[in-house]
Amino acid sequence: MDKLIALWNGSGLANITLPSAIMMAVGFVLLFLAIRKNFEPLLLIPIGFGCILANIPEAGLAYSAVEQLAHSHTPAYIDQLASLLGVQFETVKQLLDVYYNAPSSVQSAANNLAADLNFSNGMLYSFYSVTIASGVAPLVIFMGVGAMTDLGPLLANPRTLFLGAAAQFGIFATVLGATGLTALGWMDFSITQAAAIGIIGGADGPTAIYVSSILAPELLGAITVAAYSYMALVPLIQPPIMRALTSEQERAIEMEQLRPVSKSEKIVFPLLLLVLVALLLPNAAPLLGMFCFGNLMRESGVVDRLSDTAQNALINIVTIFLGLAVGSKLVADKFLQVETLGILALGVVAFCIGTATGILMAKLMNLFGNNRINPLIGSAGVSAVPMAARVSNKLGLEANPHNYLLMHAMGPNVAGVIGSAVAAGVIIKYVTVTAG
Amino acid sequence: MSQPELINEGLSLMLFGMGFVFVFLTILVIATRLMSVVILRFTSDKPEPAHPPSKAHVTKDDLMVDPIVLAAINEAVRQHRAHRP
Repeated sequence: MDKLIALWNGSGLANITLPSAIMMAVGFVLLFLAIRKNFEPLLLIPIGFGCILANIPEAGLAYSAVEQLAHSHTPAYIDQLASLLGVQFETVKQLLDVYYNAPSSVQSAANNLAADLNFSNGMLYSFYSVTIASGVAPLVIFMGVGAMTDLGPLLANPRTLFLGAAAQFGIFATVLGATGLTALGWMDFSITQAAAIGIIGGADGPTAIYVSSILAPELLGAITVAAYSYMALVPLIQPPIMRALTSEQERAIEMEQLRPVSKSEKIVFPLLLLVLVALLLPNAAPLLGMFCFGNLMRESGVVDRLSDTAQNALINIVTIFLGLAVGSKLVADKFLQVETLGILALGVVAFCIGTATGILMAKLMNLFGNNRINPLIGSAGVSAVPMAARVSNKLGLEANPHNYLLMHAMGPNVAGVIGSAVAAGVIIKYVTVTAG
Repeated sequence: MSQPELINEGLSLMLFGMGFVFVFLTILVIATRLMSVVILRFTSDKPEPAHPPSKAHVTKDDLMVDPIVLAAINEAVRQHRAHRP
């Protein structure tokens, strides 16, 4: 009978709590969106599945060894941990808070204790520490993005870099919004958290993950989910803003055909970008360095095998583990908070502002210079490659059936990737300087 | 950190950040332009033509339309025009 009770006590049914049930439901919703609605399925499938795995009660897949120990229901073990941390055991949460804030010598002692008692890291926790905590996965993905990206349209019309710069305003406006919400007393974000939330406006998944893993790992789950959801929603979010800010004639502007770009230009550009980053903004070097590396492999034409691996096999492998690791951050006590709603709301505002400033910048550029720019391509300056460019193309065709904007919009689209990586570098630099 | 101070932080991050992004990308635009000019002038590397190889293989015969087909097209066009009110 005792055995039976022990089995029941260890079952999921006996241990499930309302928050973890809600989070598992969130995981199922993400899977539904990915499978039935085709919202960024490449990421939402691993994220949604990781979310379900992470919230399975008792399995502790997303817990480190020490967290497993604290959740173990074995009073003798927990007392050992409590005495090691020098506190009285009240709740698991209180114990873990003490552990998180303990100096690293105490933390490693706790780790050793957990190892002695045969606790080990959960699977998803291991994925998380290898891919995200180390910062590796977003960078490898950026290399793959570099290897996939044709910079030709950007090189043919470098002015479109300004559109990519303007669209980054969404990032900084959102930082201001997050600090504003804190000042109003509605939310409680520090400047580093506000900065990490703002990066959602960059509409660039790997950049958002990279920045939040450095600045605010506790918000990583919410930020990543917000970033990828809004990227999937680009075709719904952007068109109303684009229509509101442009007139029928402006949308019908046909742009001059792009000049052909020589191979040498394509090879030299990533090196040029790398040198500029090295000289001006070393903090953006991890992101842009990997981007340039990937692009150089593509354009040099002599390492097709490496370029092929970077843009296919490698990026797919990393995406799987990155998705699962992000899903592991969707645990109830971190995600089910008012702050998450704030992050989701601020994220969509960031996106809208970025879209609007990109379009306004294009209209501003039309006041100078003689090559007219169709303002619709400005909205592609928020990255979201290639979805945002396709949206520009679609609206252009609606206004004028001969107006193919796709290639023109790829310029600002790629500029947006570079722009948000630069913005990420500036933010990391600024915040670490002020905080340190 | 007190609240007005936090807003100030946000504001200065916005000015500083946007300013830097623009400066960086402006320099990048100028550098890219320069690089293109230099490369196009000093290398023999011609830009890839807009409509590459296929043209080379098109012979004159391919461009000629079979006279019978041509006649049929002309007749069809004539009839279509005649039918229009």
